[in-house]
Formats: sequence, C-alpha cells, structure tokens
Amino acid sequence: MTGPRSLRVVIAEDAALFREGLARLIADRGHQVVAAVADAGALLAAVARHDPDVAVADIRMPPTHTDEGLRAAIELRRSHPRTGVLMLSQYVETTYAARLLGGSAAGVGYLLKDRVADVSEFADALARVAAGGTALDPEVVSQLVRASRHTDGLAALTPRERDVLALMAEGRSNAGIAAALVVSPGVVEKHVASIFGKLALPPSEADNRRVLAVLRYLGSWPA
Amino acid sequence: MGTTDQVKATASAVVRAPFTRRAWRELLFCAIEVPLGLCALVIPIALAALPVLVTVLARDGGHPLPRSAPAHPYGLIAVLLVLLLLAPRAGRRFGAAHRRLAARLLGERIGGPPPIRRGGGVTGRLTATLRDGPGWRAAAYLLVKLPVTVGELYAVFLAAAGLANLTYPLWWPLFRNHPRGARLRPAGALTPFGTLHIATFPGTLAAFAAGAAMLLAAPWLARAVSSADRWLMRGLLGPGRLAQRVADLEQTRAMAVDDSAAQLRRVERDLHDGAQIRLATVAMNLGMAREKLGDDASPAVRELVDAAHQGAKEALIELRNLARGIHPPALDNGLADALATLAASSAIPVRLTTAIPRRPAPAIETIAYFCAAELLANAAKHSHATAVAIEVSEHGQTLVLRVSDNGRGGADPARGSGLSGLAHRVRTVDGSMEITSPPGGPTQVTARLPLHA
Repeated sequence: MTGPRSLRVVIAEDAALFREGLARLIADRGHQVVAAVADAGALLAAVARHDPDVAVADIRMPPTHTDEGLRAAIELRRSHPRTGVLMLSQYVETTYAARLLGGSAAGVGYLLKDRVADVSEFADALARVAAGGTALDPEVVSQLVRASRHTDGLAALTPRERDVLALMAEGRSNAGIAAALVVSPGVVEKHVASIFGKLALPPSEADNRRVLAVLRYLGSWPA
Repeated sequence: MGTTDQVKATASAVVRAPFTRRAWRELLFCAIEVPLGLCALVIPIALAALPVLVTVLARDGGHPLPRSAPAHPYGLIAVLLVLLLLAPRAGRRFGAAHRRLAARLLGERIGGPPPIRRGGGVTGRLTATLRDGPGWRAAAYLLVKLPVTVGELYAVFLAAAGLANLTYPLWWPLFRNHPRGARLRPAGALTPFGTLHIATFPGTLAAFAAGAAMLLAAPWLARAVSSADRWLMRGLLGPGRLAQRVADLEQTRAMAVDDSAAQLRRVERDLHDGAQIRLATVAMNLGMAREKLGDDASPAVRELVDAAHQGAKEALIELRNLARGIHPPALDNGLADALATLAASSAIPVRLTTAIPRRPAPAIETIAYFCAAELLANAAKHSHATAVAIEVSEHGQTLVLRVSDNGRGGADPARGSGLSGLAHRVRTVDGSMEITSPPGGPTQVTARLPLHA
C-alpha cells in the first residue's frame, strides 16, 4: 500500500439516499466524488468525461432493474482499463461474478452493500480496486469456490492453502490474511509461496502473481 | 283498456316487423345460410357419386374397362374413408364460417372449439383427426341443420316472392296496357298456397295482398328458423359447456398463477428499492458514526452505536434472505442464471446442466426454481448425498427439471418432507412430478412443467 492518496471517484446508484450516503463516506475519506449518477448510461458518460480512478456502481439500476450496472461495468473494463470498477449489490450472483471477472481480476471489485457499513474495510477495498487490485466479497468467493470445487485444478492445495487463496481472492494483503487467520505474516508468506509453486506461477512481480493465482483459482469455474 | 292496448301493441309490432333492422339481418342470415348449408352437403354427395359415376361411365362407354366392376365397391370404400378423414376438418372449417356469419348478422358470439391437439407423425395426425370431438360435432351440425336450412330457404322465399307480389299493381298498367280483345295468358304470382293466376288489374290487388301477408310473415319465420339455427350452433359448434368451463378455468388459473408470480416479484422489488436500501444506508451511517466517535466517546455510547451497527447489518442479512425466498432476483435473468447461483450456494456439490433455448413464462420459471431449491435442501437435509445433479431441458412444450442425488433414498411424499407440497405446486400448472427413491438410494425427482401456465 502506498498510503492514502486522493482518488477521483464516480458513483452510480439509483437510490438517492444510498448514493448520497456513499458520496459522503467517500468524500469523508479524502477522495473526490467527481460525479454521482443514477443509471448505467450516465455512468458510462461520466466515466468517459472524468476518467476517474474508480467507479462504484450498483448492479441493479433502471430501466430494467436487472443487470444494467454489470453490463456497464463490463463495458467500462473494456473501454477504460485503467479505471477500477467496484460493483455493489444487495445480492451475490455467481454468474454475475463470473461475467464481471471475465478472465481478469485486476481492478475489479464485487461487494455486498452490507460491506459499506464497515467503513474502513470498504475504503480499503475502494483504494485496492483503484490501484488495480481485487476486492471480492467473501460471499462471492465462497460461491465461486463452491461452484468450482469439484474441478481438480486446485486439488494439490492443502485446505489451509485454499483458505489463504480464498482470502487472496478477496483481495487481502499478506498482513490482512495473517490477521484473518490469526497466524503470523511469516506463515502466510510460506503458504503463498507454496501456492505459487503448486500452481506453477512464474516468479515475477508479486502482485501480478497474486492476481494470476486468484484467476487460476476462480477461472476453474466456467464463465 | 289494457287488452286493447295490448292488441294494438301486438298489431303494430307485427306490422313493423318487416321494417326493422333485425328482421333484415335475420333474413340476410337465412339467405346466406341456405347456400352455405347446402354447400357442405354437396361435397360429400359429389364425392360419393364419383365412383358411381366412374363405374357408370365405364360401363356405358361402349367398351367397358377390363377391371371396372370391382372399382365400384373399392372406390366407394375409398371415398368413405376420405370422407371420414375430411369430415372433422371440414366440419371445423364450415363451422367457423357459420359461427362468423351468426356473429356478424345475429350478434350471436359463440366461442370457437379448442384447437385440435396435434400428434406427431402421420399416425399421430390421423388419430388426432379421428378423435377430434369438436370436429365431429361440427360435422354433425352440418347434417342436423338440414331441416333448418329448408326453413331458412322458405323464409327467404316468403320475403322474395312477397316483395315481388307487391309490385304487381305497379307494373300491370305498364306492361298489360294491351288493346281490348287481346288475350294474354294470366300472370302467375307465387304464394305459399299455390300460384295465383292473375288476368285482370283487380286481380293484381289480390297478389298485392298475398305479398303483403307473406312479407309480414317472413320476418317471423326467419326469426324462428334463425333461432333454431343459433340453438344448434351453440350446442354443436361452440366449445361445449364442459369444455368451455374447462377452458375458462384454465385461463383464469393461468392468470392467477402469472399474477401471483408477478406480485411476488413486485414485493421483492419493493423490498429491494425500499426497506433494504434504507437499512443499508442506516448501517452505513452507523458505520461512519462509529468511526467518527473515535476513542474519546464514552464507552456506553460506543457500545450503543456498536450494537446498533451490528443489529442493522444482521437485519440486512435477514431481510436479504427473506427477499430471496420471495423471489430470487437472478430469476429476472432466466432460470439458468438463477439455478447457477442456487447451485453455487449449495452445501453439497451440484452438477448443473441447463438447455433452455426458449424462456418459459415467469411463473413457470419460479415454480421450477423453487422445486430445485426445495429438492436441493431436501437432499442436504435427509439424503446424506455427496453429489447432486440438476438437469433442466426442454422437450417440445415441456420444461423438464430433474434433480438426482447419490444419497440413501427413501424419500416418500406421503411422509411430508415437502415433496407433496412440491407436487401440488407443480400440478397448479398442469405439470407432473415423478419420484423414484428406493431405500438405499439413489433419489431422482423429475418435474415436467408446461412452458406456459
């Protein structure tokens, strides 16, 4: 982590109450909300205009209230690869997660709206996605894991290593994983190295390998 | 005086009858029904006559064909078979024409019979035709209405000849202004009681009187025969009372099923856009409040805010589960998506295969989804299964959902366990459910649902 830097954020959420609360929360954290809009079309326009660091968007928005936010996000990932996309939703849908990831977990987040209530964790997730990292809701991860568990791509991993990988998929750092599993960072590092070895990921820049591991992990689920 | 008024009213009704729109419509109905009714009979008669004609021609042609003699019975049998196959279809066609006519001219709207149930292949079609009850009833109508057709013909005759008779005094002076002494044959005027022979101008007045009487009588006869025809049509061309009732019930039930699915969807949406988002906002605000309190707030206040924050988050989870139970939002994107999410959140590994090229009605998707969810929950609770397979496919107009597990079996709808409830739910849309679950397993449940309720 490079410490808190001010992010330029676009918000798309059709419920005015939640949109305003979210804008306040993000502004409170020292970021700049350059646009707060209410539908997917406006989201695309706002991103094209402001080129923000990250876009926070609801999945269900007018007019059909199904997945227009998600479709806009996929479009944004293609047209503005440098803008992180953090999806918020009341529900976790496996197929949505698979479509959103679409072969790359860089600069993507998918969180339940509940997570916003844990303000600092949400702020961390926002910063991570803006920096090209990943922030997946534990629910998303566990669903994707269950959906993929009987494929044997990850069979070589021990249960503990799978736990570590699952936390990696949520987007946590080694320190975060250590805190979650109540072990020392050194133990986590050993696990991570072992995972990289077993998944035959080439030694390169650490963050890139993490993303690759996560993708290997999630990619065993057919999108 | 009451009776005089009554007599007057009746008399004026009798006199006015020929001049009402209704009378003319009924007469016109009779006039069109006559050829239409006869037409339906001409076809079978012509067909039956054909082999006879062929045989007769072959015999009388002077040089009989070598094997013409057996042609007659075989030909007749062939024609009878063709008639047998044609009768229900022709009955439906002609029946529809008669119904249209009655609707147009008499305002008698008779619902059409239910569509013929199509079978697959040539034999399927054949049996469908032969067992087409409404088609046969329509064919019976064409035969039974023959006496009515005669009555209709008579009504048309009364009106047409009556009208012609009225004109005698008009044209008599124009065409019969011959020199004295010339002898012309008397002119004939048709009446129901034979032909009037009219030789003099006063005689034309008799024709006029007869014509007036016929014209007065025609509407009443037309009304009587068209009423009889309507009665026959209602009985034989309509869907039938029982069939109509069944059709009505099917329709209202489908509406009720669709309506309840739509209503549940609306409730879920209202929760999503209302209570859930408000609660999420409350939780978010409490989260921010908690951060802003910092360390210098009193422990009591911190504790209260913490409790409120925690409570709001838990309520949010409960509310989400409730909403998902009412209508899973993923269903809006189709059954396949919804089942994928369902499978992913299952405790037992699920192998899901879906092949749903055409989307079923929302109500059907909802029923199929909840069936799968319930069966999956059953498998998790009772079966000790380690793997479940969910397969969804379409066969013709049927959606087939099959859930099987490798558990210990012994599922019995008679012993509660939600299976009988599921079967009831499936039956509300004319679906069926088949359960095989021998002791020791495996369990396989197959639900068949129509694509549309």
